Amino acid sequence: MRLLRHLQHWLTGRGSRLQVADFVPATHPIRQWAETFPWAALVAAIERSVAQRFPHPTNRGRPGVSTRVLLALELLKQELSCSDEQSCSRLRTDLAVMYACGIGEIQVDRSQEHFVLPEVLAQFRSRLDDALMEELLAIQAEAAMEAGLVSPAHLVVDTFPSEQGSQRVTDAATLYKAQKKSSGSSRP
Amino acid sequence: MTVQCTTKGTALQAQAHQLQHDLQKIMRRFGRQCRGMGNVFVTLVRQTETQLLEVGHQVLPLARIARERLASAPQLAEAQRKRLDTQLTAALEAHHRIETQSRRLTQGKALTHCKIVNAYDPTIAPICKGKSNCPAQFGRKPGIIAEPASGFIFALHLPMGNPGDASYVVPLVDKVQQAITRVATGPTRAIHSLAGDLALNDTALREALHKRGILTVGIPQTVEPLLPVPTQEDVLQILNGASLNRKRTPYQVHLACACGYSRPVVESIIASLLCRGAAHITYKGHRGAIVQTSMAVMAHNAATLVRIQDNHLSKRAQKLRRLLCLKRYKVNQFNVSKN
Repeated sequence: MRLLRHLQHWLTGRGSRLQVADFVPATHPIRQWAETFPWAALVAAIERSVAQRFPHPTNRGRPGVSTRVLLALELLKQELSCSDEQSCSRLRTDLAVMYACGIGEIQVDRSQEHFVLPEVLAQFRSRLDDALMEELLAIQAEAAMEAGLVSPAHLVVDTFPSEQGSQRVTDAATLYKAQKKSSGSSRP
Repeated sequence: MTVQCTTKGTALQAQAHQLQHDLQKIMRRFGRQCRGMGNVFVTLVRQTETQLLEVGHQVLPLARIARERLASAPQLAEAQRKRLDTQLTAALEAHHRIETQSRRLTQGKALTHCKIVNAYDPTIAPICKGKSNCPAQFGRKPGIIAEPASGFIFALHLPMGNPGDASYVVPLVDKVQQAITRVATGPTRAIHSLAGDLALNDTALREALHKRGILTVGIPQTVEPLLPVPTQEDVLQILNGASLNRKRTPYQVHLACACGYSRPVVESIIASLLCRGAAHITYKGHRGAIVQTSMAVMAHNAATLVRIQDNHLSKRAQKLRRLLCLKRYKVNQFNVSKN
């Protein structure tokens, strides 16, 4: 329950304790996916980097949400293709997501709506930078190489385009749409 | 800002509103002229751009006055004044960049750099890649370096703008080398070969890779497909050509040819990344793009490791992994919780 103490105070409910691992089978895709990450090394790297760049002026106040939970939520957001709100909401309702976030056991509290607020996730993201992300990727690659699962001997390089935000209407886009519309309307 | 400078700001505010109104009027007129035509005329675009530049030249004097008023506004706190000044400077820089670009375009001159597509983020560039009959996408072009057998991505590189693909290789290789140096146990690891598409066909790049002991047989020189199984003579020729006779073995050349031949597998890796949110960057700025893409890469890597552990790999990938002497997952192993 050490992890729970780092979470928001309202996480510690009064109901009976549930062992999360008992409810998530070993073959569950999210459980298998989560078990591949070298969590300890990743969390240590983030905490070291954040402590260097944003030193805490004081120890007063409520402890922040655990880095382990926030990192897992951020990764799950990509894996499950959901929004901040959806991933935080699933942390409240989905035991597999709780397992992925490293929550071993929970005490049920019906009155609580969220475990982690989406704003906290956005704040966590704002503290990640290029160098740290590079280090996290290197840690994951290192763990996979040490486990003998992958080899860097023969590699392939490629690039891919990714759009930024909402695409504004441009001359080219207008022309493309007009051409497409006219060709579509000319069909019998 | 004019609201903050209440004493002398009213007249300036009225001027700014008038200017904004005039610019909107020109844009509305442009929209009306284009409506229902099913086409965008370059002449019309250039005429409108010239009008916008003529009317918009009042922006700079207005900004200068705003800055003076800001400096002499006693009711503003120092921090607030500094913040407003920074915002004004950023807006003026953006205006200057766009104005320079528009003047060159209206005069029919080519741009010295790629086109600015977002005033607030100059790191975004038009990406013309992989599509022949579509409008250019505006965004970023991340580069990945991955293992072709399983699809595990070792590193990601996301530069600003849209540089050539060849410029991605050295930073990516450096990042993999860094990851290799972190590994403390097991045999010594090294990059033996690198595969890519025709965009990487650069003599200087090949030489740089050969100096690092990396075979470039997987980078094609023509549109012809690579040989999956090279002959003895081909192997010798490849080793002599790269001056890697003592560093690389014929067996490694055979594997490099096989990996280069199966280069199209990279498309499935990219497809996996795109479905994990790397196709559409929603986080703000260049840093945000790196965070989002890196998270997508890590999520993809975890899914890849699950596939390796479950042995859900193609026949070709399984064969390649056998040849590389990589571990096969023990089916009967008891999987204890790692949390």
